[in-house]
Amino acid sequence: MIFPFTAIVGQEQMKLGLVLNVIDPTVGGLLVMGEKGTGKSTAVRALAELLPDIEVSAGCLFHCDPESSTLCTSCTAKLAGQATLGREKKKMRVVELPLGITEDRLIGTLDIEHALKHGEKRFDPGILADANRNFLYVDEVNLLDDHIIDLLLDSAAMGNNVVEREGVSFSHPARFILVGTMNPEEGDLRPQLLDRFGLCVRVDSIADLDQRVEIFRRRSAFDLDPDDFLRAWAPEQQTLSERIIAARRSLRQVEWTDEILRKVVEVTLAAQVDGHRPDIVIMRAARARAALEGHRDITKEDIRETAHLALSHRMRRLPFEEPGAGQRKLESVLANIL
Amino acid sequence: MSFSRFVFQKDAKIAVILNLIDPGIGGVLLAGKRGTGKSTLARAATRLLGRGVPCVQVPLNATEDALLGSVDIEEAIRTGKKVTAPGLLSRAAGGVLYIDDVNLMSPELLNLILDAQSRPPTSELQSVPRSCHPFAFVLIASMNHEEGSLSAHVMDRFGLCAVFDGTVDQGARFRILKRNTSTADRDSKFFAPDRNLGRRILEARSLLGRVEISDEMRARIANLCLEAGIAGHRGDITLQRAAAAWAAARGDMRVGEEHISRALPLVLIHRTRTPSAFHPPGSPENNTPDHNGQDTQDEQKPPQDIRPPGEQPEDEKGNSGDESPLISESRQGQSREEVFPVGEPFKPRRFILKKDRMERKASGRRTKTKFSGKGGRYVKSVLKRRDNDVAVDATLRAAAPWQKWRGRRTNLIIEKEDLRYRQRERTMGHLVIFVLDCSGSMGVKKRMIETKGAVMSLLVDCYHKKDKVSVIAFRKNAADLVLPPTSSVQLASRLLQDLPAGGKTPLAAALLTTYQLIRQTAARNPHARCLAIVITDGRANQALSNLPVREEIANCARELARLGNADYVVLDTEDKSGFMRADLASDLALMLEADYFTTDDLKAEYLTQIAQRAKHQAG
Repeated sequence: MIFPFTAIVGQEQMKLGLVLNVIDPTVGGLLVMGEKGTGKSTAVRALAELLPDIEVSAGCLFHCDPESSTLCTSCTAKLAGQATLGREKKKMRVVELPLGITEDRLIGTLDIEHALKHGEKRFDPGILADANRNFLYVDEVNLLDDHIIDLLLDSAAMGNNVVEREGVSFSHPARFILVGTMNPEEGDLRPQLLDRFGLCVRVDSIADLDQRVEIFRRRSAFDLDPDDFLRAWAPEQQTLSERIIAARRSLRQVEWTDEILRKVVEVTLAAQVDGHRPDIVIMRAARARAALEGHRDITKEDIRETAHLALSHRMRRLPFEEPGAGQRKLESVLANIL
Repeated sequence: MSFSRFVFQKDAKIAVILNLIDPGIGGVLLAGKRGTGKSTLARAATRLLGRGVPCVQVPLNATEDALLGSVDIEEAIRTGKKVTAPGLLSRAAGGVLYIDDVNLMSPELLNLILDAQSRPPTSELQSVPRSCHPFAFVLIASMNHEEGSLSAHVMDRFGLCAVFDGTVDQGARFRILKRNTSTADRDSKFFAPDRNLGRRILEARSLLGRVEISDEMRARIANLCLEAGIAGHRGDITLQRAAAAWAAARGDMRVGEEHISRALPLVLIHRTRTPSAFHPPGSPENNTPDHNGQDTQDEQKPPQDIRPPGEQPEDEKGNSGDESPLISESRQGQSREEVFPVGEPFKPRRFILKKDRMERKASGRRTKTKFSGKGGRYVKSVLKRRDNDVAVDATLRAAAPWQKWRGRRTNLIIEKEDLRYRQRERTMGHLVIFVLDCSGSMGVKKRMIETKGAVMSLLVDCYHKKDKVSVIAFRKNAADLVLPPTSSVQLASRLLQDLPAGGKTPLAAALLTTYQLIRQTAARNPHARCLAIVITDGRANQALSNLPVREEIANCARELARLGNADYVVLDTEDKSGFMRADLASDLALMLEADYFTTDDLKAEYLTQIAQRAKHQAG
């Protein structure tokens, strides 16, 4: 039993960040900064539960999308022998990346047992294979070994995991919604890596007394009788699920003017962020938000709401300053331009 | 994104095209900050030559056998013969080999790739290639130099280099965003310009053999390289080839001045500059306000003649041909700056790198690998036994051809002689970072002479221990990584001779640069340990931000102390005999949790005791 997404109190920014990524995974993932026990992993699991099944190539270990042109090495081979791939439905999952993970387990490696028993080479898929078209949840991403993060973000950026090691040569799509969490007090993430997360939000424990009461009221109701609780929230869940599906469908129809593009550039220039990734991320996130709101055009409001999520972790700062130190500057930039 | 629709970065595009025309140019390195489109351009380039031309990407996870090819296990078992499966390098033959984040790649693997790629026709050192040489592949690599650069030697092996200028104006940024958000790119007609360009590249390739170059132009090339002061002859050869390729691209049959000047910056940029100079002019890093107003003329200064290695400069300021920004400043003859000679070196008693925190952690990991055979970065397999860390893949390959003969029924039969072990990337050992205060206060009473003597003594010690060394010098308003990590202690000592002193003391900036260097080192090699030796009197008077100087230093020091892979030593250069002593450096040592010495301590017998105590603690 999973706590319903719509019943989560507060944390609106985090919820928005997750939903935007679900509508358009090219937004590039979400980094959640904050303390423990603020409902980060609950929210991710809850959202996965709410989403419709995905259609995958039948029997494929990598959940290849039969519609896509990028397939794993075995599906490509399969397709060479037959006209179409078999299909089956799968529930979206939240795959967790444990902290002590090794390179082998992350990207996959030679299937040693198979090789010893049968003398045949076979690829033993890693976590990135499980994660394809699912959520990849990395708790405490700042505590991962640097070379593991490099590999992870490399694949995330490519949308593909290319393995060339230990006598195995294999590639499979690795398009996942990357959700990382970190507590900035426990160590920093290199700016280059922060930049690879599309969006970033801060979560804090809720200070408002009424909201706090509401949180544990709902939680205890859920713990007491989950079935009943889920029934009560079913309509809300249904509505959000339908909105997401509709938004995904209308995403490609959303339009925007040059004026909007100009505003985005003005914002990123004034915020002094490096590179072009922030510009592109804002546009993608704004488009997803417009689709979610059922608009045909991207509005300034879409930009304002998403620029926040896209820029806070990209503002320049010194290593000993907290990520988010530029928050006030960002506020004033957005207020001035939009 | 198609290549032709990629906005700006003209240098990078030309560098790619020149290499596609003449792969003998030796590859292109695309350097730039995050999010400037390096990978996007590289990927678009790999598609330029069209289908059928191999395009191979080397992932960061590649192992040596994957590059070079290895025994095909299945075939070997079936036939009982050593059948080799081709590696990435041979799969790329005749096409493009592409590496993202090349600076994060294991240096060992990178060397293999560069070796395969660069087989310069040695007999033709002085002449322009008359035909397109048979080549291995076109190498396209990208790197973000904020994450650590490549060594000068490795950089030199890339034919051309283009730096992505991240500072674009509003209009440009708008156009880039517009292109990137446009949905039109999916339309196949937008790739038509790419197909045209691909065709033109192939045409230029066929012309290349007939492009001529006059002796005059040849002399011009040699002169340009000489003037720029680049070491070795690779620059000349590359410039020749690149100019010829550009001539072919323009349909000109003779290499002219204009072709040479087009290719020149691509040839020079990575051969003449320090990595810190990678930031294109105008970028914020170069625009920090300068209190003396003299630094900024650096760019316009005519390059100096190259000084043969090993030769000492004749006078204190001036003729050094070294490339570091610090030294070129000294040529400006600022009155308040002085270059002090190196004081008499002494033999420091075995200076033991203290606290084995990281080592123990690593050995803890090693124990774990005994059971799981995993952890760390596996680069290649070797015959020599290492901690029971069996490389299963290599062992299987070794055993495979014998299976038939050994009479395998089901399970493979592995004999002791088949066993291969993993060699992990743990080669770096220690990196000793000298963080050297070159501010004006160091010039007082020629403290600098003595300090240089102390540093030289430590350098000699590093040489004996085969440590890598790096030097960060700070003065005026900046800290510069004047010597990126190198194994060449000789280089460091030469640099030390020429370091000028004068100006303010930006200690916080120095700590920040140190922090970045340590993080970069850890990113490349999780097992490397750093020892930062901060040599200062601690009298900081130049801040990085709006914070008070002391607070800023405390912040930086706290972050440094938190890093798991580094230890610190503070060497106090303050004159302890005077009544002006402030003992600020010892405060810094406390904040860094560092060992603390004065210059006198370092000479004395006392050091042995300290070192032994440290060793005792670590054990």
